[in-house]
Amino acid sequence: MNPSVTLALVTLAAPLAAALLSVVIPPIRHRGAPAAMLTLLGSLLATGAAGLLVMEDLAGRAIRATVPWMVVQGRPLGQVGVRLDAVSIPMLLVVCLVALGVQIYSVAYMHDEKRRSYGRYFAYHALFLFSMNLLVLAPDLLQAFAGWELVGLVSYLLIGFHFDRPSAARAAVKAFWMTKLADMGFLFALLVLYARTGAFSWDVALRPEVAEATAGLIFLAVMGKSAQFPLHVWLPDAMEGPTPVSALLHAATMVAAGVFLVVRADPLFAQAHWVQGGMLWVGTITAVFTALLGLVQTDIKRVLAYSTCSQLGFMVAALGAGSAFAGYFHLGTHAFFKALLFLGAGSVIHAVHSNEMKDMGGLARRMPLTAVTFGLGALSLAGIPPLAGFASKDVILTALEGKAGWIPWALLLATAFLTAFYMGRVLVLTFLGKPSPAAAHAHESPAAMTVPLVALGIPTVAAGFLGPWLARGLGGEMHLHLGLTPVLASLAGLGGLLLSLATYLRGREAPLAATVAALDRASLVDRAWAFGYHSVLLPVSGLLRWVDRYLVDGLMNGLGWGTLETGQAMRPVQTGRTRDYALAVVVGALVLMVLGAWP
Amino acid sequence: MTTLTTWIVTLTVFQPLISAAIIALLPQAEKRLVRGWTFLSMFMNFGLTVLLYGLFDPKGPEFQLEQRLQWISDLGISYHVGVDGLAVSLMLLTGFLGPLVVLASWTSIENRVKSFHLALLLIQSAMLGTLASLDVILFYVFFEAMLVPMYLIIGMWGSEKRIQAAMKFFLYTLAGSLVMLVAILAVYFLAQPSGTRSFDYAAFYNSLAPANRELAACLAGKAASCASMSPLAKALGVYGPWMFLAFAVAFAIKVPMFPVHTWLPDAHTEAPVAGSIILAGVMLKMGTFGFWRYAIPLFPVAAQQMRVAFAVLAVVGIVYGAMMCLAQTDVKRLIAYSSVSHLGFCMLGIFALTAEGAAGSAYQMLNHGVSTGALFLLFGFLYERRHTRNIIDFGGVARTMPVFAALFLIITFSSIAVPGTNGFIGEFLVLLGTFKSTKVPMWLAVLATSGVILSAAYMLWIVQRVFFGPVVQVENARLRDVNGRELATSLPFVVMVLVMGVLPGFFLDRLETSTRRYVARAQVGLDVQQRDEDTRVTVLPLSSPTPVAALPAGTSDQR
Repeated sequence: MNPSVTLALVTLAAPLAAALLSVVIPPIRHRGAPAAMLTLLGSLLATGAAGLLVMEDLAGRAIRATVPWMVVQGRPLGQVGVRLDAVSIPMLLVVCLVALGVQIYSVAYMHDEKRRSYGRYFAYHALFLFSMNLLVLAPDLLQAFAGWELVGLVSYLLIGFHFDRPSAARAAVKAFWMTKLADMGFLFALLVLYARTGAFSWDVALRPEVAEATAGLIFLAVMGKSAQFPLHVWLPDAMEGPTPVSALLHAATMVAAGVFLVVRADPLFAQAHWVQGGMLWVGTITAVFTALLGLVQTDIKRVLAYSTCSQLGFMVAALGAGSAFAGYFHLGTHAFFKALLFLGAGSVIHAVHSNEMKDMGGLARRMPLTAVTFGLGALSLAGIPPLAGFASKDVILTALEGKAGWIPWALLLATAFLTAFYMGRVLVLTFLGKPSPAAAHAHESPAAMTVPLVALGIPTVAAGFLGPWLARGLGGEMHLHLGLTPVLASLAGLGGLLLSLATYLRGREAPLAATVAALDRASLVDRAWAFGYHSVLLPVSGLLRWVDRYLVDGLMNGLGWGTLETGQAMRPVQTGRTRDYALAVVVGALVLMVLGAWP
Repeated sequence: MTTLTTWIVTLTVFQPLISAAIIALLPQAEKRLVRGWTFLSMFMNFGLTVLLYGLFDPKGPEFQLEQRLQWISDLGISYHVGVDGLAVSLMLLTGFLGPLVVLASWTSIENRVKSFHLALLLIQSAMLGTLASLDVILFYVFFEAMLVPMYLIIGMWGSEKRIQAAMKFFLYTLAGSLVMLVAILAVYFLAQPSGTRSFDYAAFYNSLAPANRELAACLAGKAASCASMSPLAKALGVYGPWMFLAFAVAFAIKVPMFPVHTWLPDAHTEAPVAGSIILAGVMLKMGTFGFWRYAIPLFPVAAQQMRVAFAVLAVVGIVYGAMMCLAQTDVKRLIAYSSVSHLGFCMLGIFALTAEGAAGSAYQMLNHGVSTGALFLLFGFLYERRHTRNIIDFGGVARTMPVFAALFLIITFSSIAVPGTNGFIGEFLVLLGTFKSTKVPMWLAVLATSGVILSAAYMLWIVQRVFFGPVVQVENARLRDVNGRELATSLPFVVMVLVMGVLPGFFLDRLETSTRRYVARAQVGLDVQQRDEDTRVTVLPLSSPTPVAALPAGTSDQR
């Protein structure tokens, strides 16, 4: 076998083995620590393999190794296996690296859990890494769908990790159901593709309307998984999951899977111009809207969650502008700095035992390492040059130049300003300012937590320099230039940050914040979905239940009753007296004779 | 070896019956002995079905491992058994469920233990016989024989409203099968010239097929072929739809299709756990199997005329069943309605007339037996502890019964067709087949897909309600987790869910020939020429040279 394929199989097999062993051998799970070690070992192997794969020259290379799956009438419907090229390998490394960091961090963060739960947690993590790699390495859309559904499943399990908390259970179901609803689009796309082409490949030339339909349907699923407006409502609620989970699944990798899928299926999306136009706008609206909501959250994780929605909006807009590279690049840098931010937030939460920013404040002095790394992440997210976030955001804004009358460009530039502004607010409320009572006795987290923070800090700063490498792999080039966009973007970032510091350090509120907060409380989109479920679906079901009991079943019971009644009604005929029967015979004979004589 | 291949089907079918005879000799009081013996017999039976499955050659002829003996020769009835890919797969499923059903009722059945296990073994034989019969009368006998033990299981060991539920089940099913008997007799007399009449499946099919072809050609608008139609083809043109309906109604009740499904929730809800598993696991498939083997191949023209109507009913079943689940307050009723929804996929696949659809339908039959059987089994464990079926009486069970919760969750994922579980393969193939089909309108396929999302809604809801959240009721705080026996009963289901989900090839292999033949036979009704597909049913000839019915009257006695 090709050594690269072997390495790719290691990235799948190692986490899967860890998950299976933890599930099949109960003591591993019940003791907790063995499961954690096993999962870490699996992730370490996977990361090593992914690292070796990245060393190879990617440009223009594509290795496919598959076996047929689901054979009907001698023809395999799909192929399972791996596809190694410049799209899958960078993502593979990002996923493995972040997962490894998050898992190391979790060893300390989840330490207070019961041992059984601890084991279960790591088993889920191993399963997640396997599923995510399955998706990333997919040779065609069928396997991608399988991975896609499986990561959704693990997300459900991990959001609902503390299932006895009703809010966590609700959030888990909501996340699973909303993404599943959107996934119907993916399923339909598979069905349409198969009906038209007899395969599930993304790089086939299709008739324009088929390409538009397929791409549009897949994009529906992307909107669900990557939390695009109006399907974004599950993501903030998903913060019920443990914080490392939020970092890995609901910020860095799983939610970005939607963006990855579009990059992966770029040959298909490139044929669908209407869909791309739609993506541009959906991404832009999501970016603006959720950035606004991020401005008024009081829960630090919810700020970051809305920020994730917003950044995913940036990526989707870039994809809509036809630049797969821009979206993909931002996906990569975002994975690092957002994971870092979440883990930093987790470190703070671990110290003050609260998600609310009012319970924090002044933590910079008490938790310097967390503060510095979190600060770096925030600056990167805010788009301060030359950090990674700046580089990739700049590529996106450049790609948007001139698209749709410059409107998305302008809106996203404004969003870049907003992003810096709300991150400034988080920095002030958490690390600067006056400490709250809860924060006064906080102390720095253990090394198992701070080491991943520092490690993630490196790509947070420097991943931007990998842009040209990534671009070359995708068959393009990344130009560094000093034009209007980079200057404005840097100004937006810096300006937003400074203005925000000026506002919040003086204890003021941003203008319009009250209006946005009211909008947030109204949670219109959420209510629309709730209305659809509680006031449409359930009452209709209730009505059908009535129909079933009284009409459908009633009809059948009526048949039975009718038979009985007819029998009862006919009873008097059977008198048992011979003369009555004789009379009937005579009458019958007469009738027959008359009928027979009739002309 | 030849003796084995000749007798294996008969042995598999009658081994439970023989075991039942031995049970009848055991003393009533020896409950453990009765249970142990039944389990052992069922396990041996499972072994036999595995052997049968292994002996079946996926590349071989359609019907294999046949055995044909003289029976009531004067009427052209022979003892004729044999299996095709679908039958052998369903027999494997039946064998698989057998021992698990015994384990599932190990502690829940305490009164009249002997009669209960007697009924279980009888029903096992009847179900296997129904699947293995290649003579229509033999099929009918086994088909009816399933009814009585199931009636007793529901009526004697069920919960409060068991009598009513058992009666409803019995009347519904009996009404359907009596109509079918009339149609069987009609084919016997109409389709075959007197003197050579036979109830053999091959004789039934082969005598009807040419007439069906002629009729299909005529209906397809070839005027010349209408003029030269044989009398049988003309008769089929008039009576065919009625005969098809007679078969279809009998099987539709069994499936059950909307709107004749209302016996199912009552029967499932009142039945003891063993009854529910057998009912959902195997007996419902007798309906889909009947469509596949009898109703559609025998009357392809009529079936095609009513194809859209049946596809609509199937989709109504999918959506309606799922919506009903959302409105239930009783766990068992919910699982019962989910059966209506899942079986809708089977029916849709059957009527889509594509290889993918048919293969998916067959796969879905196996899946449903595993997944829904497991759901009833698992809920049975909970019912044994809490003696309530109300959803609101639970909550927080995952805290007190973690292993149980994990098992239930895996089966839930199978039920909502997550990739990697068996449910995905079946539903996906059916949907693919339906989308590809030119014979079923596209919007039906689209509507059917909504069944997938609705199933996620109700299954996740029930999981959240029963397992998640805090423990509110005291009774739930004291629940003990599954014991060794319960774990041993449920693990095989979990293993099957995953194996069938990851390695579908192993099971799809055996279904290839059956699927191809089924689609070809159904397409006869569309006047589609299957160039490379011989739709004739070829079976063993009867061991004696001529059927006795063909001999002059009076000679049969001296033979």
